[in-house]
Amino acid sequence: MTTVAYMFKEAFSNLGRNALVVLGAILAVFISLTLTFGTLVFGEVVRVNTLQWAEDVRVIAFLQEDLTPQDVAAMQEDVASWPQVEDVFFVSKAEAYEEALVLFANNEAMLSVIEDNQDILPASLRVQPVDPDEYDIIVTRLESTPGVDRVQSADDAIDAMIALRDGLQLMFWILAVALGAAAVALIANTIHMAIYARREEIEIMKLVGASNWFVRTPFLIEGAIEGLIGGALAVTFVLVAQQLAVDRLADLPDWINLVIDNNFLVKQGALVLLFGVAAGLIGSSLSLAVHRTLRS
Amino acid sequence: MIKLENVTKVYPGGTVAVKDASLEINKGEFVFLVGASGSGKSTLIRLMMREEPPTNGDIWVAGKHASAMPGWKVPQLRRSIGTVFQDFKLLPNKTVYENVAFAMEVTGKHSSVIRNQVPQVLKLVGLSAKADRLPRQLSGGEQQRVAVARAFVNRPLILLADEPTGNLDPATSVGIMRILDRINRTGTTVVMATHDHAIVDAMRRRVVEIDRGRIARDESRGIYETAVQEAVPVTTEVTEVIEEYPPIDFNDDAASFDVAEFDQETEQESSAEIEFDASEADEAE
Repeated sequence: MTTVAYMFKEAFSNLGRNALVVLGAILAVFISLTLTFGTLVFGEVVRVNTLQWAEDVRVIAFLQEDLTPQDVAAMQEDVASWPQVEDVFFVSKAEAYEEALVLFANNEAMLSVIEDNQDILPASLRVQPVDPDEYDIIVTRLESTPGVDRVQSADDAIDAMIALRDGLQLMFWILAVALGAAAVALIANTIHMAIYARREEIEIMKLVGASNWFVRTPFLIEGAIEGLIGGALAVTFVLVAQQLAVDRLADLPDWINLVIDNNFLVKQGALVLLFGVAAGLIGSSLSLAVHRTLRS
Repeated sequence: MIKLENVTKVYPGGTVAVKDASLEINKGEFVFLVGASGSGKSTLIRLMMREEPPTNGDIWVAGKHASAMPGWKVPQLRRSIGTVFQDFKLLPNKTVYENVAFAMEVTGKHSSVIRNQVPQVLKLVGLSAKADRLPRQLSGGEQQRVAVARAFVNRPLILLADEPTGNLDPATSVGIMRILDRINRTGTTVVMATHDHAIVDAMRRRVVEIDRGRIARDESRGIYETAVQEAVPVTTEVTEVIEEYPPIDFNDDAASFDVAEFDQETEQESSAEIEFDASEADEAE
């Protein structure tokens, strides 16, 4: 039996020995990382959906292709003079392209389409209403303005989404950090119990000259496995929940996009798994550092 | 092989366990550390195996400066030392074979080496037939032989034994001593802390007597020779007890049982003496 195989065997036998405590630790990691990953995914959904609506913009008028800069300037001046309008600014095709690069940063398929056809995105006027509730008047007037191709408006859902994101994100992060600390403490506890259960073996290992890393590594592996399992559960849970949301909420207004690029999910998911493993390693290291049996 | 220079060990709370002890033990020697309980024998063994560092002084073990060694180097030192204790320290859920193999596994020995060495050392201690037994299925003497096998399986330069016969009856103790003697004859330095007068007197090896942390005597072919001052407090205590409980009948069963046991012990002593006198003649340093 190789040394590595020996260590994994020891780590797994420890996991089995304190099944209940181990389960508690894994659940704590799971909940903490579900909140973390959920927050990341939700934040990404909101970010993708609200990018154009920053700075109190409520109405966007996409312009026809054949307008001259003079036409655009005249139109901008006209719209700005409307009593309901607080401010208007112009987003050129080039600026729209830059914006799209950010908007679809996590969507490579979309990015490549845009990059291949940099002209595909129309120029637009972004309108800030004086009173956010009066945007529908602006929409109606813009739709009858020559040179405007299409008008898109943000309703209260956008406001709600942004407010929800800000509120939830803060709460989720606080919970995630608190539960993360609890997870580390619980993992430390399982390792503590594993060390206690094996104190005779450890004593003999030290007597016959097993190196410190040989004694400690199985416990580090055990902690890492607990963190990894918790993290994997969290990633699976969030991915399934997100998929369900996409399927169930298919009749949402078409400007709300719940689908997130796989690239984002894979990267952030891997990061969350790493967090789980790190929590496990930190927990077991804490336990190893304070345990008397392991001091030389 | 082992060298102590002006070693002092003071425990937290001010207990002085070893005081200004200097001692040199050469390769292949067999040394008894004798002395009353609490005299500092066990502390000396613990210092030699670097279980704890001395408060003052220097210790060299197997060519390494053990007293100045950082914690992470201790495992390397331990691999050149085998250790045997009064309480055997066997793993109850592992068989005899597994207990011995464990000492090789955890020092990263290749499995083919383990499969080769473990049966050999089990044969040396006479437990080949019981390799698959669990410790609880063995007698005390057999368990201690497993512990000796485990201490020796990595072929250490030094074997440190702290009261290895402390839990064993005299007949069984002779068996253990025979194995330790055999191990010593392979060139392994053996240091054994003991209370056992019979064994020390029978083996006639180097005797280092520790008295209240100091080295009181060092003889190359010594006997146990209980110091008078040790006996005094014991006698006083016993006298006090007797005075306190006068109705004790010294001719009752308990008393006569003690006598019987003592006789038996004396008997074992003489048989051990014959055994080890012979072996010592072979060695004649």
